[in-house]
Amino acid sequence: MKLRKLTSILCAAVIAISALAGCSSSSGTDAAATTAAPAATTAAAGTEAPKETEAAKETEAAGEAAGAELTGEPIKIGTIYAMSGGSAAIGANILRGIDFAVAEINAAGGVNGRPLEVVRGDHAGDAATGRSEAERLITQEHVDVMMGCHMSVVTEVVAQVCQQYEVPMITAISTLDRLSNEEHKDMDYFFRLCPLNSVYVEDMLMYLRDSAEQTGEEIKTVAIFTDRAAIGQELIRCVELFKDEYGLELVATVDYTSNATDLSAQVLALKQADPDAVLCDSYIGDATLFIQTLKEQNYSPKMIVAKANGFTDPSFITNLGAIANGVASVVEFNPDLTNGKEINEEFKAEFGVDMNGHSAESYTVVWLFKTAIEQAGSTEGPAVRDALAAIDIKGEFPGGRKIVLPYDQIKFENYDLAGEAHYRDNTSASVAIAQIQDGQWKTVWPFNFSDTKIAYPAPLQ
Amino acid sequence: MDMFLQACVNGLLMGGFYSLMGMGQNIIFGVMKIVNFCHGEMLMVGMYLTFILYTFFGIDPYLAVPIVAVTMFCIGSVIQHTLITPSLGTKSFTNLLFLTVGLGLLLSNGALVIFGSEYRSIRTAYSQTYIQLGPVTMALPRLISFGVLIVVTVALFAFLKYTTIGKQIRAVSQNPTGAEVVGIDVKKIYILTYGLGVALAGTAGALLTQFYTIFPTAGASFGFRALIVVVVGGLGSIPGAFFAGIFLGLLETMSALFISPSYSDLIVFMTFIVILVVRQTMIARRK
Repeated sequence: MKLRKLTSILCAAVIAISALAGCSSSSGTDAAATTAAPAATTAAAGTEAPKETEAAKETEAAGEAAGAELTGEPIKIGTIYAMSGGSAAIGANILRGIDFAVAEINAAGGVNGRPLEVVRGDHAGDAATGRSEAERLITQEHVDVMMGCHMSVVTEVVAQVCQQYEVPMITAISTLDRLSNEEHKDMDYFFRLCPLNSVYVEDMLMYLRDSAEQTGEEIKTVAIFTDRAAIGQELIRCVELFKDEYGLELVATVDYTSNATDLSAQVLALKQADPDAVLCDSYIGDATLFIQTLKEQNYSPKMIVAKANGFTDPSFITNLGAIANGVASVVEFNPDLTNGKEINEEFKAEFGVDMNGHSAESYTVVWLFKTAIEQAGSTEGPAVRDALAAIDIKGEFPGGRKIVLPYDQIKFENYDLAGEAHYRDNTSASVAIAQIQDGQWKTVWPFNFSDTKIAYPAPLQ
Repeated sequence: MDMFLQACVNGLLMGGFYSLMGMGQNIIFGVMKIVNFCHGEMLMVGMYLTFILYTFFGIDPYLAVPIVAVTMFCIGSVIQHTLITPSLGTKSFTNLLFLTVGLGLLLSNGALVIFGSEYRSIRTAYSQTYIQLGPVTMALPRLISFGVLIVVTVALFAFLKYTTIGKQIRAVSQNPTGAEVVGIDVKKIYILTYGLGVALAGTAGALLTQFYTIFPTAGASFGFRALIVVVVGGLGSIPGAFFAGIFLGLLETMSALFISPSYSDLIVFMTFIVILVVRQTMIARRK
């Protein structure tokens, strides 16, 4: 009887603990799905976190040291990212980019003689926490401008708070299309730097079109290989949206359930359809199994272009080795981008890791705030908002860095995308396409940002 | 035709794994009348064991199979002795359900804590060797794995049929009270059976490592398929589970080939339900 009781207590305890652990792990996956392309963000998962905090402290210290020479009240940048929970590693990468820019700007004399200061909020991957953190930063810390977040749903909530208190906000990495649509027309304190989800896909198609210039073979037919979950539906929707514009015929849509035990049937279906290019979006496990199954079924698509996700996970190349060569993917930043090489070296010297898409985009947002505040001549919300709305950066920031992302203009505009109105997005934003060559991600598109030629057909060996 | 042959081979190679999982599950069910809901997680543990043996001791995944099987047998025996046997006495199905489900959660979250959420894999010199047989291509590790599966299956049949312990296991599965009356140590048989079932799952895990990624929830999809195999093959029937596994593998690839890969899961589950209903009606009529 005693034993029986003991067992049931044990069971209950086991289930409770496991459920808790399960929660924290699943929120991590959500995060990865929300950001369209967390290029190499999962890299840091846990292991690099301690190193990061030290590096961050150092930068802060460096910033303070430089700031000490600067007179004047600091200009406060509020940041709301996940610093705990399943997506803390993603937050760490973002904050590296911000710290790097702040240290650099303060060392060079600050903004109108005033130092920049970062005030960190932690949304822990949760929208409600995001809202209370936003209110805390604005009402108690009195931040002048706001940056965030990495999950689009949290960004949406934080943007509403900023609108209410008239604090200008730029999102560096929230790609959900909806954030800038008609519904958000009047949220004039909210700006978006990064490309929209559908722009990611449009860029993939643009790459297919442009590739003919180097490969000599035009891509006419495409097939989609993707997860049955939301990420897959999003890819299919966007391809449908743009395919006619780019003269592409969609010959097959092949899907599967996440963490599939076997993908041979899907690969055979692709083989039957025999498209010129395969577009895909998969989580890491399925992405790995997919490439392996291609080899097993003796099928080599000439071109494979992925929407980041599992394909840009660092373990993708480690797990597959040479057979990953030739797979291409969307990236927001790559260390070999012609305009990003220099900064990446400095960044790596500071933090010991390469700059990734999230760090590069967040870095750029700090520079945008600096420029806007200088142009506004004040840190008043409405003045900075107007300066941001009018900002037009061509090639490089005034008195500073080149744009380190794969485009050469930053301007927030209202425009139409595939028949839907969008507001205050950076219309020049684009992603780059990188291809795995000799086990390394090499930028191959846009052509004016890369020195590497496309490997065609994809060798897969 | 080429596609058809290729799909057949794919189905067979994959079906072998479902068989192995199903047989392990079924041997446990046959003897103790419990469903082992952590069977998939046992496969995952087998995968991580193989991964450790390969990474830290440089043992080839196929040479690791016996080591993994023995280790898993021990793990299974300990679990049976300390956790399951005590709760068997309660005759409460929910108790055992919670126990095995909880154990599964504990194992997969334990793996998450120890190994992290990273997807790992084992790459040996021959893991990316492909064999071309007429119109059909196969990965060498899959072929070797299938060979090992056949050997394991034959050995399992022989063990149950000809050895004393095998006969005792069958005796307990047919009538535990009768078995106890003739002097069989039923508790010992329970321990052996659970150990054996878990060892089979671990073996499947070890064999999978060269062409499947290793991650904490890797077992879930396989564990679920093992349940289908058990139900389709007949609860407690080892040969039934073997053929049902192969059947499931073929059904998956064939339905994808002739209908659409998008519907292959749907078709698998539809067939599963149809078989259940048909069997139920047949049993009802016989009575």
